[in-house]
Amino acid sequence: MAWQLRSALEIAIKDLTVYSRSRFIWAMMLVAPLLIAGLIYFAFSGLGSSSGGFQVPVTRVQVANLDQPTAQSGGFSAGQMLVEFLQNDDLAGLVQVAVASDEASARSAVDTHASDVALIIPANLTTAVFALDQEAAIVLYQDPTVTIGPGVVKGLVENYLDSFSGGKIALGVVARQLSERGMAVDNTIVQNTITQYAAWIQSLLESRQAGDYPAMRIQSPPGKAVAANSLADLAGKILAGQLIFFAFYTAAATAQSIITEEEQLTLGRLFTTPTPRTTILSGKFMGVFLLVLGQVLVLTAVSSVLFRIHWGQPLSVLMAILGLVAVTTGLGLFLMSFVKNSRQAGAVFGGVLTVLGMAGGLFTAANEGMPRAFETIALLTPHGWALRAWKLSLAGADARAMLLPVAVLLVMGAVLFVGGALTFRRRLS
Amino acid sequence: MRILDLALKDIKQILSDRKVAIMLVAMPLLFTAFFGLIFGGSGKSSDSRLPVGIINLDPSSSAGSTLVGLLESSQAVRPVALDGPAAEGAPEQVRDGKLAAAVTVPAGFGRTAGEGQDAELLVVVDENDTAGLTASNAIAAATVRLLGILQTARLSIAAYESSATLDAAARQDYFDQAIALASAAWKEPPLTLTVEQAGATPQKASANSYNQASPGLLVQFAIWGLIMAAGVVVSERKSGAMQRLLTTPTRPWQIIAGHATGMFLLTLAQELILLAFGQFVLGVDYLRQPIAILLVALALALWVVSLGMLIGAVSRDDSQSMIWSLMAMFVFTGLGGAWFPLEGTGKAFQTIGRLMPSHWAMQGFQNIIVRGQGLQAVWLPVGILLIYAAAFFTLAVWRFRFE
Repeated sequence: MAWQLRSALEIAIKDLTVYSRSRFIWAMMLVAPLLIAGLIYFAFSGLGSSSGGFQVPVTRVQVANLDQPTAQSGGFSAGQMLVEFLQNDDLAGLVQVAVASDEASARSAVDTHASDVALIIPANLTTAVFALDQEAAIVLYQDPTVTIGPGVVKGLVENYLDSFSGGKIALGVVARQLSERGMAVDNTIVQNTITQYAAWIQSLLESRQAGDYPAMRIQSPPGKAVAANSLADLAGKILAGQLIFFAFYTAAATAQSIITEEEQLTLGRLFTTPTPRTTILSGKFMGVFLLVLGQVLVLTAVSSVLFRIHWGQPLSVLMAILGLVAVTTGLGLFLMSFVKNSRQAGAVFGGVLTVLGMAGGLFTAANEGMPRAFETIALLTPHGWALRAWKLSLAGADARAMLLPVAVLLVMGAVLFVGGALTFRRRLS
Repeated sequence: MRILDLALKDIKQILSDRKVAIMLVAMPLLFTAFFGLIFGGSGKSSDSRLPVGIINLDPSSSAGSTLVGLLESSQAVRPVALDGPAAEGAPEQVRDGKLAAAVTVPAGFGRTAGEGQDAELLVVVDENDTAGLTASNAIAAATVRLLGILQTARLSIAAYESSATLDAAARQDYFDQAIALASAAWKEPPLTLTVEQAGATPQKASANSYNQASPGLLVQFAIWGLIMAAGVVVSERKSGAMQRLLTTPTRPWQIIAGHATGMFLLTLAQELILLAFGQFVLGVDYLRQPIAILLVALALALWVVSLGMLIGAVSRDDSQSMIWSLMAMFVFTGLGGAWFPLEGTGKAFQTIGRLMPSHWAMQGFQNIIVRGQGLQAVWLPVGILLIYAAAFFTLAVWRFRFE
């Protein structure tokens, strides 16, 4: 028994030595998943961001202020006030405002991608603020390929307009109710209403600027604590998907060594030795197992340093690793047992693993709220269960919560391994 | 003629492998359809606004119904009334992404807020999620309007009571009427913002979510195809076939041109299949400017070929050419905005991304399909792609080894 174990280990070490010389295996095992996660991390963090959060892009805004206040507005210009509001230092991280000389040049800046958004302030804005019977509309002209920036500008401008609309509506309601009851709407009532509404909205807007939502208490949904570092949270989910995808890939690619050795007739030569076939296959299996284990350990360790990912409680992470390594090794062996030659193996990597990865949700790992049907399909694949285990661990689940997905992975891994080993034995006998 | 012969030989050699069909055509089609579908590309939903659950525990006041009315007029969210078991499970529905948020109007909210005292709506939302953040902003805007309506009612009563008195019942009627009038007025506020999109593309066409996935994956899989195309150059050099070719009257430049032509024809064919799939299956309007789209596709193919020749020139074996092709695919497509639009990325990433040829290919396609511009809008992207193609090709010829 000890002799057989030693032989199996020697075969595994020989395979590992061969794999370690392959630049392709190194690239697919470690470089590709880290590169993809790194690119996405870089994209959404921005260099120099120490907060660990997302950077909201600065939106370039061209404002054509056509507002023409009348003498009755007493020098007040709602259009000019809007321009100054958008140019406020507090908003410098969100919008970069340039004043255009006319409407055509503001629109042209968007057409030529010199600007993301153009705001056209109409000539009657100030007049409409004061006159109860007048309406005005600011036009937001946007590049259709950008959505975040226009959304931010839209929110800012609508809030600004709402404060004036609210005052007008309040005055209209007061006037109408008093008139319906035969009471006069004198100047004092008008002044009081406008002043009090303006003071009230001012205090409300100040609390919003301080980051508070008015009259709203925000709660995170159950099981979703507010992430201390949302970027690391995103990177964790993306890397979990990539790690699982490339672990399956590594397992299949290394299990291919059985096919390669069969084609090169070295496997046949091995079978002429006193080493039992089961021991030889076990050695091959051990090589795959150890390689995937090394890959997953290195990726989790490196990513926790590079991307500040907290993979979860140590025991939960260990369980997720164990489940993943078992199922990837089992599937790798199972798939390769049906492959006729190394040419076909490429199609298996390209096709079967990609489709299973897609169905298992590995390419949309960071996307929450997937359709229910998609989630059901994902759980028909080992990839889906592996992702579930890793996401649970990332969310801080304890060992008890990890039991079900890890048990499913271990059972799947065992069944696939037995199926693969039996097929190989039949094929090689 | 010799160039064409060499090109045809490469194409025959690559297409003789069945997995090529999977890698060059089936996979990109599958990925495009998948990502478009996942990110909301079905386009069948009658109301694409985010669903927000409303649990009204204060039915005796008009605050809950007023809030629903205000959310109804939002362009970002749509209210969904919840009661019974659905209300109890609302937080879980938010967690599972079935609702973007859930708002509970607590008992007594209308009375407390109506009196100008502190009152709070309970909002369950995941603000780490884009949908959640959008929903919470829309709910906040509606809440400000709701508070404005209540403030209006208070001001109206104050105005009346400055010269007359009301008993409790009349006061309540007066208050309710003010709320009704103000709510009606907020349905069409006097000062508004209207959104216009640049370009001639109808808003529905420019909102097709495949507008990102289709050209993005076209760019990605054009580079992906180099795994095989660059491999042919490498294996020909490794087997000594290239050296043998040099003993024939074939000139070295003809060998390079032959390989480049083969790669170009394959890449272009793949692009045309993906463009046709995008147009006829996914509804991406490539054909609105066919000449412009063809120019971008040609320029993209030329750049990809020059990249492939460079990879073929510097790779010593198949595994090296595969690694370089994969790295090029990840870096160019990731940085160039083919996976996700650059607008949401950091400043440094955007700056680097705009230097990528893949970014200019995306610009060329999107100037037509999203911005609805004409032929003149692709000259710059095409020109930049051609400059990159020339630069990469020069490098490839410089580094090319025949043995």
